[in-house]
Amino acid sequence: MKRWVCLAVFTLGVAASAQVLKIAFDAADLRTLDPHYASATMDRAVVDMVFNGLVRYKPGDITVFEPDLAERWEVSPDGKTWTFYLRKGVRVHPFTGALDGYELTSEDVVFSLTKAADSKTSAYAGEYAGMTFAAVDPYTVTITLPQALSPSLFLPKVADYAGGFIVPKRAYEALGEKFATNPVGTGPFRFVRHVPAQKVELAAFAGYFRGKPKLAGVEVWYMPDVTARLSALATGEVHLIEGVREQAWVDTVKRMRGLVVDVFGPGETHILHLNMTKSPLDNPIIREAIAYTLSRTELIQAIGPDLAEPLCGVVPTYLAGGLSCDEAQARGVFYEADLAKARALLAQAGYPDGFSLSAYITERASYRKPFENIQAQLARVGIKLEIKVTDHSSFHSLIRQDVNPLVHYEAWRPSADAFLTRFYHSASIVVTGAKPDTNFSHITEADALIEQARAALEPAVQAALWKDAQEVILRRAAALPFYVLKFVFARSDRLDYGYELKSTLALYPPINELTSLK
Amino acid sequence: MGSYVLRRILVAIPALLAAYTLVFLFIRVAPGDPAVAALGDYASAEAVRALRERMGLNDPLIVQYGRGLLGYLGGDLGRSLITGIPIGTQVASVLPHTLQLTFAGLLVGILLGIPTGVLTAVKRNRLPDYLGRTFALAGLSVPAFYLGILLILAFSVRLRWFPVMGSGEFSDPWANLRHLVLPALTLGIIMTAFVTRMTRSALLNVLREEYVRSARAKGLRERTVIYLHALRNALIPVVAVVGSQAAVLIGDSVMTEIVFTRPGLGRLMVQAMNQRDYIALQSMIVLYAGLVVVINLVTDLLYGVVDPRIRYD
Repeated sequence: MKRWVCLAVFTLGVAASAQVLKIAFDAADLRTLDPHYASATMDRAVVDMVFNGLVRYKPGDITVFEPDLAERWEVSPDGKTWTFYLRKGVRVHPFTGALDGYELTSEDVVFSLTKAADSKTSAYAGEYAGMTFAAVDPYTVTITLPQALSPSLFLPKVADYAGGFIVPKRAYEALGEKFATNPVGTGPFRFVRHVPAQKVELAAFAGYFRGKPKLAGVEVWYMPDVTARLSALATGEVHLIEGVREQAWVDTVKRMRGLVVDVFGPGETHILHLNMTKSPLDNPIIREAIAYTLSRTELIQAIGPDLAEPLCGVVPTYLAGGLSCDEAQARGVFYEADLAKARALLAQAGYPDGFSLSAYITERASYRKPFENIQAQLARVGIKLEIKVTDHSSFHSLIRQDVNPLVHYEAWRPSADAFLTRFYHSASIVVTGAKPDTNFSHITEADALIEQARAALEPAVQAALWKDAQEVILRRAAALPFYVLKFVFARSDRLDYGYELKSTLALYPPINELTSLK
Repeated sequence: MGSYVLRRILVAIPALLAAYTLVFLFIRVAPGDPAVAALGDYASAEAVRALRERMGLNDPLIVQYGRGLLGYLGGDLGRSLITGIPIGTQVASVLPHTLQLTFAGLLVGILLGIPTGVLTAVKRNRLPDYLGRTFALAGLSVPAFYLGILLILAFSVRLRWFPVMGSGEFSDPWANLRHLVLPALTLGIIMTAFVTRMTRSALLNVLREEYVRSARAKGLRERTVIYLHALRNALIPVVAVVGSQAAVLIGDSVMTEIVFTRPGLGRLMVQAMNQRDYIALQSMIVLYAGLVVVINLVTDLLYGVVDPRIRYD
């Protein structure tokens, strides 16, 4: 009898603990859980589960916006004032000072947006420059813009991403500096504790406005070793892991019983930026020769066809204004390897035997491996590329000091405007720009089109202008787009996300109130 | 002995100051920016500038240097530039795990290494000697991360005896012990190799001494000669190796901590280095230097225990 009782207790214990989902990320520890600073994948994952935006990207599909904390919204005829009507009864997680939490109102929303717009309390302040926020009544908020913006440019700023996450005022003020490691929000899971260099524990928030989550909680583990992550997944100690973005790894895991590999978007663009101020790349014929030397197909083959999709414009096609390969071809800015043509162009530019370049690259495989492939391809026309491998942090510092003639960059940005402004507007030129950012090529010719597109309200007109801007950039061969690298996670087949996963801005398969373990 | 200990502590102060100064300067010379590391590449240059200001990185170097030093004098290790968590809190949370792993590794090394060393010395140039030396050579050659993965695949994935990840809570000793076994074996097998080789060579030297011959001539049993007379004298260099390796193990445990997803000082240090978390890194290096000083002191004091002829005046 006693044995049966023990077995029953044990079984119940297993069943209860099985409802805590464990995710393992390729990270040593968290950095910050203040949503207005969180940028790394493992931090965004926690933030995504703890906070909400006024609107949200439909789970698993970033092409659709739907209500989140706001149940509806409208824009004034001049396009400058947006009004959001908040849901009633949205509860903030319990925290010291409000053990039952409290109801989220417009006061919190105004506070949060003001925080997001302040460079002292947010990394995304630039996104909200010139905006004013006002609480009309407890459930109505207005946002006034300095200039009208199209929905595709404005809604991401108030969505469940970066500065759009709503931070409850009283919790932030009560916790002060501790908020960054002890976040309080309104999402389906509430923060429980952080074990340094090991994990973060979250518990289901029973008062979540969409209903109590099916899971009892979530543990986010920091496991930098991929073999350990996969071993833990194989033994059932974790249910979801960040994978390796390599075809061989994907193929191996696909063969393992009980495991499923998810390859999903939006992915990150891989683009080679050619510094137009460094000799001999200051000669457009040389840049064109490089464009005709490098084979996109070969690069994609090396990365893995399951993981990489061809990219022919500098804005990917999953965003409004993205340029497809057919469109690039129609506009005469589609480059594919033609070595005879490349050699002829080099000879025309006075370099029949090629030349030498030297460039830094980060040790990270997703950058280093394609760069080594580029090195091998360039050698076919006599261009000797010396690669200097450094750590990731140093790489980012060095390329921002304008030391590289070629910059291979992996990036995700939430809109065509963000891609074009930050990589191709003259204000963003590294070191010398008005607001130095990531314009590594020093191109200036696309400024007018980028600015016109930003001001356009008609979606079709705006998209056309973004495509025109890309045509200018590609015609100058300032940047060579190669592919979009998708994200890879592996999971137990017991894990059901509760939605169809196609693409996600959180850069991990979002876990929400519908997620369950079978 | 009290004055000896005090003298050693006073001598350690310049060493700690030198460690702080060197790491303070070197990490700032290296390219990389903690603000960029904290914010990620998506953040604008304006946001990076604002964060650098908030982090105090725009202050003159001498001000930053003095700020750190004053903090240490007041017992404050500062706050992480990246997470804002007090470094003292972070260290306090992981140091018990690091010390536990290090001492468990040492224990495995001593418990396996000394008997193996004795066996290989006594059975010199015979099969047990060859096997023991081969084991020692293998232990010295295999990297910790590789050995750790092999142990995980064998004992966690295949046999399911031990968990793959985590350290378990100290409040649950059984779970804590289960989490400790494989990491301790990983470090311990490597440590065993050092101890075996040192014990063997020290014992072989001692066994050639005249007092050993005298003991045998008196008709003492071989076991008594080895364990009571020879081994005790052979242990002094072994203690030295164990002491120096204890300090090395704390640093070396980083790969074991990563493979087994254990919190630990080494892992925190590597993370601080990658993220250019200047404050965390310099504080942890100073702390690590302090630990080395303490371990060396304890090792020196242990000589006196092993050999009573050694006095500390």
